[in-house]
Amino acid sequence: MFQMMIHPLKNTTVMRELTTMKRKIVPILFLGLAVAGLLLILSSCESSDKSSDLSPQAGVGGSMARFAITGNTLYIVSKQSLEVYNITDGGSPVKAVKKNMNVGIETIFPYQSHLFIGANDGMYIYNNSNPNDPQLLSKFTHVQSCDPVVVQGKYAYVTLRSGALCRPGNTLSSLDVVDVSNPSNPAMVHSQVMSSPFGLGVSGNKLFICEGDQGFRVMDISNPILPVQKHFFAEIPSYDVIVRNKHLIITGKGGLFQYQFDQDDKYELLSKIPVL
Amino acid sequence: MQKFLLFLFWIAASLACTTAPATQPINGIPFDGTAYKPIYSSAEDLAKVKISAAEPLAEPGKIYLFDPYIFINESGKGIHIIDNSDPKNPKNLSFISITGNYDMAVKDNWLYADNLSNLLVFDIGDPKAPKLTKTIENAIPINSFPPHTNIYFECPEAKKGIVVGWEKVTISEQPKCFR
Repeated sequence: MFQMMIHPLKNTTVMRELTTMKRKIVPILFLGLAVAGLLLILSSCESSDKSSDLSPQAGVGGSMARFAITGNTLYIVSKQSLEVYNITDGGSPVKAVKKNMNVGIETIFPYQSHLFIGANDGMYIYNNSNPNDPQLLSKFTHVQSCDPVVVQGKYAYVTLRSGALCRPGNTLSSLDVVDVSNPSNPAMVHSQVMSSPFGLGVSGNKLFICEGDQGFRVMDISNPILPVQKHFFAEIPSYDVIVRNKHLIITGKGGLFQYQFDQDDKYELLSKIPVL
Repeated sequence: MQKFLLFLFWIAASLACTTAPATQPINGIPFDGTAYKPIYSSAEDLAKVKISAAEPLAEPGKIYLFDPYIFINESGKGIHIIDNSDPKNPKNLSFISITGNYDMAVKDNWLYADNLSNLLVFDIGDPKAPKLTKTIENAIPINSFPPHTNIYFECPEAKKGIVVGWEKVTISEQPKCFR
């Protein structure tokens, strides 16, 4: 009889334990899901941070490029416009839209969901969340010059080349660091003098600058707003550069040069195809 | 009133003539005996695209990487295709001769390239033998003046052909065009 009495009691205890377990499990489940979601978001951010190349099946150009592909869209900057082509069918580009711009457009650099366009009078930032219809967000104006741009994280690195063909007068060439964390309101945070900068490339804590016939400059950007020169290779005349996984591809007056660099900042010439 | 306007116009016109003769410096920049001269091409020559065996680099320009291939622009003349499977031993595969070419981009087996104002599409399924599959005419607006400022240049004449480039020359007479 005692036994009979205890059983229902025992049952209710079990029931209670079950409900308390449920109460504990449900929040844990939710928390787990939230954490998993957050990790997913973070990891996708991380992977898109690593490279400006948004689509795996397309290639990557240097900072001097007027052509750029992201996903199924081909962007072409002419001197005075941004021409957008849908290349879902790669063999038959279809004109999506044309955005008229001021004269003097020079280069285009896609980074995440934005297009950074270098022009003689400044840098234009377009939002290309809708790749077939980019929207102008802002224009960062500077003195008249020739100026490619690359972007990493919060910062855009812009070189401004002076000279008779680019900038009248005797103003100096420069490297400008522009905070683009708010693409609608870019702000210059640093500027320093350069020799005669053409293309540039950025990877991790390194910024590479082609200095035309004068050589090739390597800068440390461990502090991204304060590039510090590490090397100047006068023997590498350079015009355009692509940097991928500690691998440098450089073109210049001497031909095509490829270098491998390591954590200790040592540079090894892999090969060259000389100009003949 | 009409007569007065005409008179004003006549004054303005005569002033315009007297204050800006062709030999005066424009924008305060004196003519130094050099100017840019258009390089003309016929529409047929412009459209000629030739695919050939590898050619040596002469004036390498922009680079485009599409692993394991590197595309190198030959300034104004075309594209070298390099097999970079082994970066220690890159192989120059082929050359596409394209007038007025400076840029390129690749998606899958499609190469896009500029041919002055035209956009060309190549099938590079076999990078040793690219095939021109499409030409989109007048895809890229181009300027009818040199890509420089504060310089004198010979005004282009449509009857001479299509301007594919500019060369700096020494000439005795100050050209009428300036920018």
